[in-house]
Amino acid sequence: MMIASGPWMLALNASPKWLESLVEQFFAYLPAWLTSNLTPTDAADFIVWPLIQIGVMLVVVLTAVAYLTLAERKVSAWIQARVGPNRTGPLGLLQPAADGIKLLIKEDVIPFKADKTVFTLAPIISMVCAFVVLAVLPYGPHYASITNINIGLLFILSISSVGVLGIILGGWASNSKYPLLGALRSSAQMVSYEAAIGLTIVSALIFTRTFSMQGIVEAQRSLGVWFVLFLFPSFIVFIVSAVAETNRAPFDMAEAESELVGGFHTEYSGFRFSIFFIAEYANMVVVSAIGATLYLGGWYVPGMDWVAAQLPEAYREAALTLMGITAFAIKCGAILYLFIWMRWTFPRYRYDQLMELGWKWLMPAALANIVLTATIYIIGKELGLVRSVEGVLQMDWQGKVYFTVAGLLAMFPILALLNAINRNSKSFNLRAQRTTIPISTRKVKLSPGVKPA
Amino acid sequence: MLLVGWEALFFWLLTLSALFAAVFTVSTRNPVHCALFLISTLIATAGLFLLLRAEFVAGAQILVYVGGILVLFLFVLMLVNTRSEVENPFNRQDKAGAFIAALVGLALLGAVTYTQQRGGFFKTKPSADRLAIENARPDPNAPAGVISADTETLGVTLYTRAVLPFEIASVLLLMAIVGSVLLARDRRQEETYD
Repeated sequence: MMIASGPWMLALNASPKWLESLVEQFFAYLPAWLTSNLTPTDAADFIVWPLIQIGVMLVVVLTAVAYLTLAERKVSAWIQARVGPNRTGPLGLLQPAADGIKLLIKEDVIPFKADKTVFTLAPIISMVCAFVVLAVLPYGPHYASITNINIGLLFILSISSVGVLGIILGGWASNSKYPLLGALRSSAQMVSYEAAIGLTIVSALIFTRTFSMQGIVEAQRSLGVWFVLFLFPSFIVFIVSAVAETNRAPFDMAEAESELVGGFHTEYSGFRFSIFFIAEYANMVVVSAIGATLYLGGWYVPGMDWVAAQLPEAYREAALTLMGITAFAIKCGAILYLFIWMRWTFPRYRYDQLMELGWKWLMPAALANIVLTATIYIIGKELGLVRSVEGVLQMDWQGKVYFTVAGLLAMFPILALLNAINRNSKSFNLRAQRTTIPISTRKVKLSPGVKPA
Repeated sequence: MLLVGWEALFFWLLTLSALFAAVFTVSTRNPVHCALFLISTLIATAGLFLLLRAEFVAGAQILVYVGGILVLFLFVLMLVNTRSEVENPFNRQDKAGAFIAALVGLALLGAVTYTQQRGGFFKTKPSADRLAIENARPDPNAPAGVISADTETLGVTLYTRAVLPFEIASVLLLMAIVGSVLLARDRRQEETYD
């Protein structure tokens, strides 16, 4: 058992050989006091290579975010039998650039009574929290991930929980009614659904056995399956909570246009607004990446190792990396499409329904799933279907079939539990709920002469 | 832990920012600004946990304190009218507060001096094999799950050696939840559900 920590705890993947030699040559031109404490290998591994990766990732993700907005508009148009943006460039492909330029050259208004420091700080917090998380995502094997830290998943969860601050502070600092209401709603919503997300991830951790994002992918690679097979109920809870966590319809309480004008960013304009906008879409990318990593195997596709083994030795690593990045991008894209699809097909929840769904449906479902998954795992272990060798799970095909079937069957006890908990308020229709509560004990009694409290 | 090189730099950076943010937390008049400085303090402390190789504690600190508790702090602060606090510069309890703060500060100073005389925090040199583990660079091509032992170790420790504090904390939180529900329910709701 090795506990990898220490100064190299934030270990980055080793840089390619050509970069090391390049840095070594460059060292000859640097003054001695600068290079005395630093070996060329360390400089390449910890300074030059990460900076290159970070630069590439920023460009890629910002482009992805820009085209995600276009995809959103296009998909919404198709769903509503419209054409969507098609004037700027071929098929409207330059629309994100046009939008960006428009937002950049707009006037940047700060309300007179706003708290100026916090007002400017809020979009920055949102943006930073959305982008810092990109550092630990596993885009692919070998060179394709920036860092692989021990607490990867926990890091992502904690940083995205800090991201809520951006919304709250933005709403508060505007010193205006609608933004404040939007901020309060969204903070309550995000805190509630964070609990559901955290709990549903716990049941996934029973199989992944690590917080490290690369480790999670490797766990699925060594088994040759995606964890969505073992953890189907957990996956459903995750997807629903993820939509709520990113403040998107049908859970877009933070910016419900028909109720709150624009929600927390009502007073923001121009570039500051676009920062909030980018952060929201970057959060979507991050959440879909977590979903793809935990449940859909990350960059792993069954059979990719076989394909790589057919190639000559020299190309094997590069081919595996390319396939991994492509698979990861496709999986993220699929989940992102699901998010967009959900936004344009479901009506918005009422606020009390939203809280009810979070605390009385998703939370018990996640808790019950932890208990059930742990029980299933222990039974499988007692039956000898699964072994844990130095933290790595090993199982034969019987074990895989057992966990898949048991994971699907776990749906039924969970549904029974949810049914029992919510038997009085199963229908989201308020009128149907009222008829189940006797008139004599209704909260508001409407008798003549007595004003309801 | 011996402070050398980058570690020393990060230690002083994080410590000083935590201390300054802590001072601003109590000296700023606007409660929301206070909460923001408190967040800075907590994040700097999480960085210190990282320097102590306690990654999980650092992550949990940010997740629980910054993401959960401070968000609820801000939630409450927004619902309360804080203007009177900002505009009224007098605090009649400042003398008592200063006295208690001085007392706690002296106690802390005494504890630090006492520990320092008995051997100190940083005087024990780590053994050679401990240093080897700490300075080991993980193999980038290591097989799956080698580092996953961390989570397993944490879980096993939490539910065997630390099970009593864990349970006590759970019961405490449960009591707080039951109490708050009891306080929040009014008489009409009691009648409805009884």
